[in-house]
Amino acid sequence: MISTAYAADDGHGGGGGLPDPMHQFEIKRLFELELFGFDASFTNSALFMVIAICLITLFTVFAMRRGSLVPTRLQSVAEISYEFVASMVRDNVGTDGMKYFPFVFTLFMFVLVLNMLGMIPYTFTVTSHIIVTFALAAFIFLGVTLIGFWKHGVKFLKFFVPDGVPFVMLPLLVVIEVISYLTRPLSLSVRLFANMMAGHTMLKVFGAFVVALGFLGGWAALAFMVAFTGLEILVAFLQAYVFAILTCIYLNDALHMHH
Amino acid sequence: MAGAENQSGRHHNDRDTQDIRQRLDALEGKLEAARVRHAPPPERESRGRAMGQALRLATELVAGVVVGGFIGWALDGLFGTKPFLMLVFLLLGAAAGILNVIRTAKQMQAEAPVPKNLKPVDDDDDD
Repeated sequence: MISTAYAADDGHGGGGGLPDPMHQFEIKRLFELELFGFDASFTNSALFMVIAICLITLFTVFAMRRGSLVPTRLQSVAEISYEFVASMVRDNVGTDGMKYFPFVFTLFMFVLVLNMLGMIPYTFTVTSHIIVTFALAAFIFLGVTLIGFWKHGVKFLKFFVPDGVPFVMLPLLVVIEVISYLTRPLSLSVRLFANMMAGHTMLKVFGAFVVALGFLGGWAALAFMVAFTGLEILVAFLQAYVFAILTCIYLNDALHMHH
Repeated sequence: MAGAENQSGRHHNDRDTQDIRQRLDALEGKLEAARVRHAPPPERESRGRAMGQALRLATELVAGVVVGGFIGWALDGLFGTKPFLMLVFLLLGAAAGILNVIRTAKQMQAEAPVPKNLKPVDDDDDD
């Protein structure tokens, strides 16, 4: 039984004993490429982002190619996802936020498809890398802050001044508010990244248990894995949803300036 | 507008609708019972959601401290006051983290549906 674990080790890297659960997150360069002194190689991460974008584009274009009044199955899926995000934006930002709908929809579909692609065996989960989620979150953060200043000008700074606070306390509280605002990109990105990475590591660890415990004991671990895969699919959807809805909330803060 | 036959017909109709309504009601009851029997225990999903919320609160708290510490560290590098500003900003960051947690929790509370049957928790250990 131990020998099977070692055998599995061959395919999954790692030093000794059980297969390395972190091996799945390894970035591999598919094409070497250097641009202006930066390593801009096309990696497996980039490959899966391209796949996700192609899938989303194909799905939406193909599903809506007829645009019939009585939707086909595929068309209903596309319409449901549209309605889902549209009502999310309308509820959280208001009707004047609908002009940011394309962005939120793209973001939601991108994260959702990346998360879901990661659930297929032998694929790579792009969102399990903090640099990817942080880049997304930082872009959202910068964009939302710029929108805030563009809409309200210098008055946007009032966002950091809480109401009804004694004058003496203001300097301290403003600093705390600013730090609280600056934590947004970090908490937004860490949440998605941690959920995806923790889930996939768990799956891998229990997968190793199935092999290591062999024919007699492996079933318990296998049953757990099946249940956990279901939970992971839920998490994959939920995290994409949370990512999109927090973007909406931040947008709402920037447009309407209240906590 | 209605003759005698019509009247009786209407009466008949009324009885029919009543009958149908009764059967519908009975069916509704049976359906509800079947639904309750076949509904998956809400355990897993609600537990997954609760885990998500807990993780969200935890990241808010940690993110505050990390960002505060980082700002302090950067300012220290700028002014050459190692390590005092970092200490101050770590504390401020912790305060910001707690502020975020309170805000998030308030928002979650506003969103969460009121649980129907609250009962004392006797089995709290993980399975």
